[in-house]
Amino acid sequence: MRKKRFNPIKDKTSEIMEFLMASPDMPQDENLRFKIELSIEEAVDNVVRYAYEGGIGWLEVGTSLNEESLILTIELRDAGTPFNPLEKDDPDVTLPAHDREIGGLGIYLCKQMMDSISYRYEDGNNVLTMTKRIDS
Amino acid sequence: MIVTISKQEDKTLVELNGRIDSTNADKFQQEMEPLMQGEKPDIDVDCSGLTYISSQGLRVFLLLQKSVMARKGKLVMRNMNPRVKEVFDITGFSNIITII
Repeated sequence: MRKKRFNPIKDKTSEIMEFLMASPDMPQDENLRFKIELSIEEAVDNVVRYAYEGGIGWLEVGTSLNEESLILTIELRDAGTPFNPLEKDDPDVTLPAHDREIGGLGIYLCKQMMDSISYRYEDGNNVLTMTKRIDS
Repeated sequence: MIVTISKQEDKTLVELNGRIDSTNADKFQQEMEPLMQGEKPDIDVDCSGLTYISSQGLRVFLLLQKSVMARKGKLVMRNMNPRVKEVFDITGFSNIITII
Protein backbone atom coordinates (compact mmCIF):
# COMPACT_ATOMS: atom_id res chain seq x y z
CA MET A 1 0.00 0.00 0.00
CA ARG A 2 1.25 3.50 -0.88
CA LYS A 3 0.82 5.41 2.35
CA LYS A 4 1.38 8.82 3.78
CA ARG A 5 0.74 10.19 7.23
CA PHE A 6 -0.43 13.80 7.51
CA ASN A 7 0.10 15.62 10.79
CA PRO A 8 -1.44 18.01 11.60
CA ILE A 9 -4.52 17.66 9.40
CA LYS A 10 -6.39 20.87 10.15
CA ASP A 11 -7.08 22.68 6.82
CA LYS A 12 -5.10 19.97 4.99
CA THR A 13 -8.00 18.35 3.12
CA SER A 14 -6.78 19.65 -0.28
CA GLU A 15 -3.24 18.43 0.30
CA ILE A 16 -4.44 14.97 1.40
CA MET A 17 -6.76 14.76 -1.63
CA GLU A 18 -3.96 15.76 -3.99
CA PHE A 19 -1.71 13.02 -2.60
CA LEU A 20 -4.39 10.35 -3.02
CA MET A 21 -5.61 11.42 -6.45
CA ALA A 22 -2.00 11.53 -7.75
CA SER A 23 -1.46 7.88 -6.77
CA PRO A 24 -0.53 5.62 -9.71
CA ASP A 25 -3.21 3.24 -8.37
CA MET A 26 -5.94 5.66 -9.44
CA PRO A 27 -7.78 5.07 -12.72
CA GLN A 28 -7.57 7.50 -15.64
CA ASP A 29 -11.27 7.36 -16.50
CA GLU A 30 -12.83 10.71 -15.59
CA ASN A 31 -16.15 9.29 -14.42
CA LEU A 32 -14.48 6.81 -12.09
CA ARG A 33 -12.07 9.43 -10.81
CA PHE A 34 -15.00 11.74 -10.01
CA LYS A 35 -16.72 9.06 -7.90
CA ILE A 36 -13.53 8.07 -6.12
CA GLU A 37 -12.50 11.67 -5.48
CA LEU A 38 -15.90 12.52 -4.07
CA SER A 39 -15.89 9.48 -1.77
CA ILE A 40 -12.38 10.19 -0.53
CA GLU A 41 -13.20 13.84 0.07
CA GLU A 42 -16.26 13.00 2.16
CA ALA A 43 -14.31 10.48 4.23
CA VAL A 44 -11.24 12.70 4.69
CA ASP A 45 -13.38 15.74 5.51
CA ASN A 46 -15.15 13.73 8.25
CA VAL A 47 -11.84 12.93 9.93
CA VAL A 48 -10.46 16.46 9.51
CA ARG A 49 -13.60 18.00 11.01
CA TYR A 50 -14.60 15.59 13.72
CA ALA A 51 -11.95 13.01 14.67
CA TYR A 52 -9.81 15.21 16.89
CA GLU A 53 -10.67 17.91 19.36
CA GLY A 54 -9.36 21.16 17.87
CA GLY A 55 -8.28 19.29 14.75
CA ILE A 56 -4.92 18.35 16.31
CA GLY A 57 -3.95 14.86 15.24
CA TRP A 58 -2.85 12.71 12.33
CA LEU A 59 -4.45 10.92 9.42
CA GLU A 60 -2.72 8.20 7.47
CA VAL A 61 -4.07 7.53 3.99
CA GLY A 62 -3.11 4.86 1.52
CA THR A 63 -4.05 3.28 -1.78
CA SER A 64 -3.44 -0.11 -3.32
CA LEU A 65 -4.51 -1.74 -6.54
CA ASN A 66 -4.92 -5.45 -7.07
CA GLU A 67 -3.63 -5.83 -10.63
CA GLU A 68 -5.57 -9.03 -11.20
CA SER A 69 -9.00 -8.13 -9.91
CA LEU A 70 -8.51 -4.40 -10.64
CA ILE A 71 -9.91 -3.60 -7.25
CA LEU A 72 -8.69 -0.30 -5.86
CA THR A 73 -8.51 -0.08 -2.07
CA ILE A 74 -8.33 3.19 -0.16
CA GLU A 75 -7.61 3.16 3.54
CA LEU A 76 -7.91 5.96 6.09
CA ARG A 77 -6.49 5.53 9.58
CA ASP A 78 -6.65 8.00 12.46
CA ALA A 79 -6.21 7.91 16.23
CA GLY A 80 -9.14 10.19 17.00
CA THR A 81 -12.32 9.55 18.96
CA PRO A 82 -13.59 6.04 18.14
CA PHE A 83 -16.34 6.58 15.58
CA ASN A 84 -17.99 4.20 13.15
CA PRO A 85 -19.54 6.38 10.43
CA LEU A 86 -21.40 3.37 9.01
CA GLU A 87 -23.53 2.97 12.14
CA LYS A 88 -25.48 6.11 11.33
CA ASP A 89 -28.77 5.52 9.52
CA ASP A 90 -28.84 6.59 5.89
CA PRO A 91 -30.62 9.91 5.32
CA ASP A 92 -34.10 9.67 3.79
CA VAL A 93 -33.36 11.02 0.31
CA THR A 94 -37.05 11.04 -0.63
CA LEU A 95 -38.05 13.76 1.85
CA PRO A 96 -39.13 17.20 0.58
CA ALA A 97 -36.79 20.18 1.13
CA HIS A 98 -38.38 21.48 4.32
CA ASP A 99 -38.01 18.09 6.02
CA ARG A 100 -34.43 17.56 4.91
CA GLU A 101 -31.69 18.07 7.42
CA ILE A 102 -28.47 19.84 6.66
CA GLY A 103 -25.71 17.28 6.53
CA GLY A 104 -25.50 13.51 6.86
CA LEU A 105 -25.03 13.06 3.12
CA GLY A 106 -21.26 12.56 3.00
CA ILE A 107 -21.00 8.93 4.07
CA TYR A 108 -24.18 8.14 2.15
CA LEU A 109 -22.48 9.39 -1.03
CA CYS A 110 -19.42 7.20 -0.28
CA LYS A 111 -21.68 4.17 0.07
CA GLN A 112 -23.36 4.91 -3.24
CA MET A 113 -20.22 5.77 -5.21
CA MET A 114 -17.92 2.99 -3.98
CA ASP A 115 -18.40 -0.79 -4.22
CA SER A 116 -17.73 -1.39 -0.54
CA ILE A 117 -16.99 0.57 2.59
CA SER A 118 -16.05 -0.93 5.93
CA TYR A 119 -14.94 0.24 9.35
CA ARG A 120 -12.90 -1.34 12.09
CA TYR A 121 -11.35 -0.14 15.32
CA GLU A 122 -7.84 -1.53 15.52
CA ASP A 123 -4.94 -0.82 17.93
CA GLY A 124 -6.61 2.39 19.07
CA ASN A 125 -7.20 3.57 15.50
CA ASN A 126 -10.27 4.18 13.38
CA VAL A 127 -9.73 2.38 10.08
CA LEU A 128 -12.04 3.08 7.15
CA THR A 129 -11.57 0.99 4.01
CA MET A 130 -13.25 1.66 0.68
CA THR A 131 -12.96 -0.38 -2.49
CA LYS A 132 -13.88 0.19 -6.12
CA ARG A 133 -13.40 -2.02 -9.14
CA ILE A 134 -11.81 0.19 -11.75
CA ASP A 135 -12.25 -1.61 -15.05
CA SER A 136 -14.70 0.60 -16.80
CA MET B 1 -14.90 28.45 -7.70
CA ILE B 2 -16.11 31.62 -9.38
CA VAL B 3 -19.65 32.81 -8.69
CA THR B 4 -21.07 35.49 -10.97
CA ILE B 5 -24.39 37.04 -9.97
CA SER B 6 -26.27 39.39 -12.28
CA LYS B 7 -29.78 40.82 -12.63
CA GLN B 8 -31.98 40.57 -15.70
CA GLU B 9 -35.25 42.40 -15.02
CA ASP B 10 -36.80 40.46 -12.11
CA LYS B 11 -34.58 37.44 -12.59
CA THR B 12 -31.33 36.80 -10.73
CA LEU B 13 -28.82 34.95 -12.88
CA VAL B 14 -26.07 32.96 -11.24
CA GLU B 15 -23.15 31.45 -13.12
CA LEU B 16 -21.01 28.84 -11.39
CA ASN B 17 -17.53 27.95 -12.56
CA GLY B 18 -15.19 25.45 -10.95
CA ARG B 19 -15.55 23.16 -7.95
CA ILE B 20 -17.61 23.38 -4.77
CA ASP B 21 -16.00 21.17 -2.16
CA SER B 22 -15.36 21.01 1.57
CA THR B 23 -12.51 23.51 1.31
CA ASN B 24 -14.51 26.33 -0.29
CA ALA B 25 -18.15 25.60 0.61
CA ASP B 26 -18.19 28.19 3.43
CA LYS B 27 -16.90 30.85 1.05
CA PHE B 28 -19.46 29.74 -1.55
CA GLN B 29 -22.23 30.08 1.05
CA GLN B 30 -21.11 33.65 1.79
CA GLU B 31 -21.15 34.48 -1.92
CA MET B 32 -24.67 33.11 -2.23
CA GLU B 33 -25.83 35.12 0.80
CA PRO B 34 -27.34 37.98 -1.32
CA LEU B 35 -29.71 35.39 -2.85
CA MET B 36 -31.10 34.51 0.57
CA GLN B 37 -32.77 37.94 0.84
CA GLY B 38 -35.64 39.72 -0.85
CA GLU B 39 -39.24 38.95 -1.70
CA LYS B 40 -40.32 36.37 -4.28
CA PRO B 41 -36.86 35.57 -5.67
CA ASP B 42 -36.56 34.22 -9.21
CA ILE B 43 -33.16 32.56 -9.39
CA ASP B 44 -31.65 30.86 -12.40
CA VAL B 45 -28.37 29.01 -11.84
CA ASP B 46 -26.23 28.11 -14.86
CA CYS B 47 -24.15 25.07 -13.87
CA SER B 48 -22.39 24.49 -17.19
CA GLY B 49 -19.04 25.44 -15.62
CA LEU B 50 -19.61 23.48 -12.39
CA THR B 51 -17.21 20.54 -12.52
CA TYR B 52 -17.51 19.01 -9.04
CA ILE B 53 -19.70 19.18 -5.95
CA SER B 54 -19.45 17.42 -2.59
CA SER B 55 -21.93 17.20 0.28
CA GLN B 56 -20.74 20.50 1.74
CA GLY B 57 -21.75 22.17 -1.51
CA LEU B 58 -25.13 20.42 -1.58
CA ARG B 59 -25.74 21.80 1.90
CA VAL B 60 -25.64 25.36 0.50
CA PHE B 61 -28.18 24.50 -2.22
CA LEU B 62 -30.51 22.99 0.38
CA LEU B 63 -30.25 26.19 2.43
CA LEU B 64 -30.94 28.24 -0.70
CA GLN B 65 -33.93 26.13 -1.74
CA LYS B 66 -35.44 26.32 1.76
CA SER B 67 -34.91 30.07 1.78
CA VAL B 68 -36.46 30.48 -1.69
CA MET B 69 -39.50 28.36 -0.76
CA ALA B 70 -40.03 30.32 2.45
CA ARG B 71 -40.19 33.49 0.31
CA LYS B 72 -42.48 31.88 -2.27
CA GLY B 73 -39.85 32.25 -4.96
CA LYS B 74 -38.40 30.12 -7.71
CA LEU B 75 -35.04 28.38 -8.08
CA VAL B 76 -33.98 26.66 -11.29
CA MET B 77 -30.63 25.00 -12.00
CA ARG B 78 -29.64 24.28 -15.58
CA ASN B 79 -26.90 22.80 -17.80
CA MET B 80 -25.54 20.46 -15.13
CA ASN B 81 -22.86 18.08 -16.32
CA PRO B 82 -23.84 14.39 -15.96
CA ARG B 83 -21.39 13.67 -13.15
CA VAL B 84 -22.62 16.58 -11.06
CA LYS B 85 -26.22 15.68 -11.91
CA GLU B 86 -25.65 12.16 -10.58
CA VAL B 87 -24.70 13.63 -7.18
CA PHE B 88 -28.00 15.55 -7.15
CA ASP B 89 -29.87 12.39 -8.24
CA ILE B 90 -28.32 10.03 -5.67
CA THR B 91 -28.99 12.39 -2.79
CA GLY B 92 -32.57 13.09 -3.90
CA PHE B 93 -31.73 16.76 -4.49
CA SER B 94 -33.08 16.44 -8.04
CA ASN B 95 -36.52 16.02 -6.45
CA ILE B 96 -36.31 19.08 -4.24
CA ILE B 97 -34.70 21.48 -6.70
CA THR B 98 -35.87 22.05 -10.26
CA ILE B 99 -33.10 20.96 -12.62
CA ILE B 100 -33.58 21.47 -16.34
